Amino acid sequence: MAATTTGLPSAEVTRPRTVLVATMFASAAAFMAFAGVLLVYINERAAADEWFPPGVIELGPAGFVFATMILSIFTVQWAVQAINNDDRVNTFVALALTGLFGAAVFNQLWFIINDTGFALAGSNAEFLFFVVNGVFAAFLISAVAFLTLTFLRALIGQFGPRKADGVAAAAFYWNTVVAMWSIAWYVVYVAK
Amino acid sequence: MTMTDSPPATDTAPAASSPAVAGLYDALTTTDHKRIGRFWLRSGLLLLIGAVVLGVLLGIEGTDAESTDLFGGDNAYFQMWALYRIGLALLVAAPLLVGLATVVVPLQVGSTNIAFPRAALASVWGFILGAGITVVAVLAGGGFGAVDRVTVDERDAIALTLVGLGFVILSLLLASICLATTVVSLRVKGMTLMRAPLFAWSVLVTCSVWLLTLPVLLANLLIAYVDLHNGPGTFGGDASGSLAIYGQIAWVVEQPQVYAFAIPVLGILGSIVPVSAGVRAARHGLSVGLIGLFGLIAIGAWSQPYFQNDGAIPHDEKFVFIAFGLAALLPVLGSMGGAGDTLRRGGDSIVGLPPAHLLGALGGGILLLLGAGAGALRVIEPLELGGSTDQVEGIGTLAVSGVASLVLLSVIVAAVGGFWFWASKIGGHELPPMLGRLALLGLIGGAVLLGGGQVVSGFFDTVNHPLAPPTEDAADALAVVSLIGAILIGLGALGVVASIGKAMRAGATADDDPWGGHTLEWATVDGVFTEAPAPVMSESPLLDDADHEGEES
Repeated sequence: MAATTTGLPSAEVTRPRTVLVATMFASAAAFMAFAGVLLVYINERAAADEWFPPGVIELGPAGFVFATMILSIFTVQWAVQAINNDDRVNTFVALALTGLFGAAVFNQLWFIINDTGFALAGSNAEFLFFVVNGVFAAFLISAVAFLTLTFLRALIGQFGPRKADGVAAAAFYWNTVVAMWSIAWYVVYVAK
Repeated sequence: MTMTDSPPATDTAPAASSPAVAGLYDALTTTDHKRIGRFWLRSGLLLLIGAVVLGVLLGIEGTDAESTDLFGGDNAYFQMWALYRIGLALLVAAPLLVGLATVVVPLQVGSTNIAFPRAALASVWGFILGAGITVVAVLAGGGFGAVDRVTVDERDAIALTLVGLGFVILSLLLASICLATTVVSLRVKGMTLMRAPLFAWSVLVTCSVWLLTLPVLLANLLIAYVDLHNGPGTFGGDASGSLAIYGQIAWVVEQPQVYAFAIPVLGILGSIVPVSAGVRAARHGLSVGLIGLFGLIAIGAWSQPYFQNDGAIPHDEKFVFIAFGLAALLPVLGSMGGAGDTLRRGGDSIVGLPPAHLLGALGGGILLLLGAGAGALRVIEPLELGGSTDQVEGIGTLAVSGVASLVLLSVIVAAVGGFWFWASKIGGHELPPMLGRLALLGLIGGAVLLGGGQVVSGFFDTVNHPLAPPTEDAADALAVVSLIGAILIGLGALGVVASIGKAMRAGATADDDPWGGHTLEWATVDGVFTEAPAPVMSESPLLDDADHEGEES
């Protein structure tokens, strides 16, 4: 029997916000992957006699990343608010600004990694420093890509006040990535 | 209102194409959840056949490891042993469950399709690709580490194995997002989570647990992969060594994490038993709670070696590990008790031999109970069944594998029960009942012998490593018992495949509701809702309709 269910009258649903719900599940999974890497870092550091020598990891550049990420929370929520108010110009500006913050953070991360002079094949500490920052950079790139896609979809009119789920979903994922850096910043750069 | 963001699928290939091209086009573009589910099920069954063959070979090797060399060296033996253990969970049990859920869950919640059908299709093809890479890489000398030194080629094959498993995990995560979103967002009006069918609820819990834990396994694989190529060599990058890489990722098939694959066993039990008994489920709300509790207990990523660096207390003696080990028994016992009560209340409905689906559901439940029971016994310190620390430090006894075998085989048995129950929704064919009973008896009996043999052998301190010599004479005898179990499982799996083949050849279509079902999937005609389901008032909406009609007449 090769019957298909497509093209038939659909059942009435109570909660159609599928994109937002799916993004929440995906964000939880992404956060756990990052937490998995970060916990290895924490445990290895706890077990090691010596981790990084003092002064090798500077707080300043990582602090700028943190500040930029915190700032981006406001811009991405600005985009959500704007699309709910059907204010398309503000939506575009807010999404573009958030993406720009993402690019700035990536640039800053690149500087931090080069500035430390660490080698991947060095000590356990250097290796895990690379892995934590590298995995964060991967999630950051994915969040910027999500924002870009949302921007393009908003540009062709796929979102509006009655269909703002896509923007809210992109904002949720972005905020998850901000949470990742907030924890990594404290664990890797502040607590050292 | 459309159910997903996809346009209606036409499921037709370009008109001028040959049948083969049209078939391929159809397979790569379909958005029908039943077809996608069948892809998962076919993949799972194919890999099940591969796993049972490997299981028999490992059983033969295990009976006389010193003089027998079926795999061509210690490395290959260890790598196949590790592949069997990881593969039984991620390459066999998981796709069978995802396939069954992809077909059944949308219908159970009253939806015409799964959420994000294109993503669901991508997940199944990603899984097939990942599973293929994993198996080929192991056959090429790779695996999850090695016990002796490896060549450069073998090292590359090990890296490829990690990539393959990574693909598998990503695909399972994508499928989990689709299924969980379906249950959360696409339920019909009136169907609260408390009124959701138990199988759909168990799938939501399972997907949530997978989404919280399998990414951590992905992180483990990433660290091992990067270390293998450019790292300092302390995170599995050396590739050789007693338990390199496998020792780190084995937590996924050890308690408590292994229970994450078995949560739907309770859902299948809760869906099949009331229908077989012809009565409403006893204490539906309690069953919902027990499945949720089992899900919480199954979150086990914390138990991996990377997170156990305090060193003061051996892993198996930690309070949390002991508490989780004992607590896992509670929801399984509760669910089995509820099933027993439901069967008692509707005992008159079952006349003669029990149907194959009931055998599968109860067999799965009993195997899970045995697995959880053995897991609980293992963690009770005064019994000293977890092995003396000196012998098994960082490895555990064979009871670890025994618990995993019982739990994972409970999933396979329950899923097979699910095939027979939902056959009319999966493929539209009625599966042969007698062959089904025989196949399930083979699977259940084999699982008891294989898993039970390993558990008892472990209780005699046999180390959970293929190359460790047996510590007691009884271990040799128990290895033979396990081999017989592996052979029986093989026969049972062949019986399942033969039944499906026979049903497809016969071509007879099944009734839309052959069992008098209680939930919405049984209101479909040829697996399709002909009209939008009415708002749901209880966990058994079709019984409500029957009661209402009875009152009116």
